[in-house]
Amino acid sequence: MNVKNVVICAAGLGSRLGLDTPKCLVPIGKHKLIYYLLELIKDIPNVRIVVGFKEEEVIKYVRSIRDDVVFIRNSNYSSTTNAYSLHLGTKDLKEPFLTIDGDMILDPTSFKSLLTKCVPGEDLIVITEAKTEDAVFVKLNDKKEVVEFSREPFSKYEWSGVGYLSNIKIDKDGQYVYQVIEKYLPIKSAELTCWEIDTPQDLNNTLNYLSFI
Amino acid sequence: MKKVAFCFDLDGTVTSQEILPLISKEIGLHEEINLLTQITLKGLIPFQTSFKLRVKLLSQISITRVKNIVSGVALQQSIKEFIQNNSDDCYIVTGNLDVWVGDLITNELGCKYFSSEAEYEGDKLIDLKHILEKRSAISSLRDEYETIVTIGDSMNDCSMFELGDIGIAYGGVHEPVESLKKMSDYVVYDEQALSVLLNNLLP
Repeated sequence: MNVKNVVICAAGLGSRLGLDTPKCLVPIGKHKLIYYLLELIKDIPNVRIVVGFKEEEVIKYVRSIRDDVVFIRNSNYSSTTNAYSLHLGTKDLKEPFLTIDGDMILDPTSFKSLLTKCVPGEDLIVITEAKTEDAVFVKLNDKKEVVEFSREPFSKYEWSGVGYLSNIKIDKDGQYVYQVIEKYLPIKSAELTCWEIDTPQDLNNTLNYLSFI
Repeated sequence: MKKVAFCFDLDGTVTSQEILPLISKEIGLHEEINLLTQITLKGLIPFQTSFKLRVKLLSQISITRVKNIVSGVALQQSIKEFIQNNSDDCYIVTGNLDVWVGDLITNELGCKYFSSEAEYEGDKLIDLKHILEKRSAISSLRDEYETIVTIGDSMNDCSMFELGDIGIAYGGVHEPVESLKKMSDYVVYDEQALSVLLNNLLP
């Protein structure tokens, strides 16, 4: 497998979901959300998780599944964005990495196929059919490269929040990750079936789809 | 100026066992030393007080015998390898005694160290001469290095984390104390994962 490093951002409050629990620990089926993600990446050797809100609970749960995770602390999680967490999670990494948000459910078959498309040295933006409430839409050219990001719904695809980055450094001042990546466009894209849980509506929608859980 | 220094706590970080309880087993003071070690790790009594007491209890054993016991202590293999491979910029920062652990560090790890110092006569330990305050080790490296990485697990590592630049709380041997975790940038429980991280932090 080409993918050696995964960085999961799981520091945020998840305030839009309105539960007093980190989003990655929301119960879904028999387990908590992040369980399904860890299951999918169990053969990837280096896993880093950026923690913040209720970090002890997240660390404890993750360790019950896998003990060799490097936890990276974002102690300013309440006043910083995901871009800052991703910066902390990747600043010392010298190898390409796959970044995934800790509040995502990925379709296993689709994810396996995505892993085969990650090529060290290349960058890959992973897109999905637009369905979240505040999507970052992507415009593609005829080579299926992402040429633009926008909050305006100008295509049926949104950025999933997943990316395989070889040449892009996430600096600490970026507001949103897509704004950091924007400077490097056009970038190759790949499609993934996935769901992000930002709002109670997202959670409901997702539960209806998930036959594999 | 050199780029990155790595400062490791010794007991329970580089060694897979706490050293003083190991020594105490030899002379039937295991329970006493173990209790003192546990409450010190939890931060219930200060390291300095506890260490003085523990050294007093153990001072009846000859230095040579202690060294023999210490030479058999199990080490975290991949951390040992990292230190050996980067020995010029790795330092052991330990409250433990020079006469007890100095040989272990020099022979097994091959790096420099900061430690507490003993007063001794021949093979007999007389008293403590100096107890290391870990922050002083970091201050003394400050002019030499751009970045100082600290790796530890217990209460007396806090002062080293305070002055260092990047703190790694390591729970491979036992759970790091809460206060130290709160001061750290990384929390790691697996030896191999720590080794990968340390290599990433190399310049």
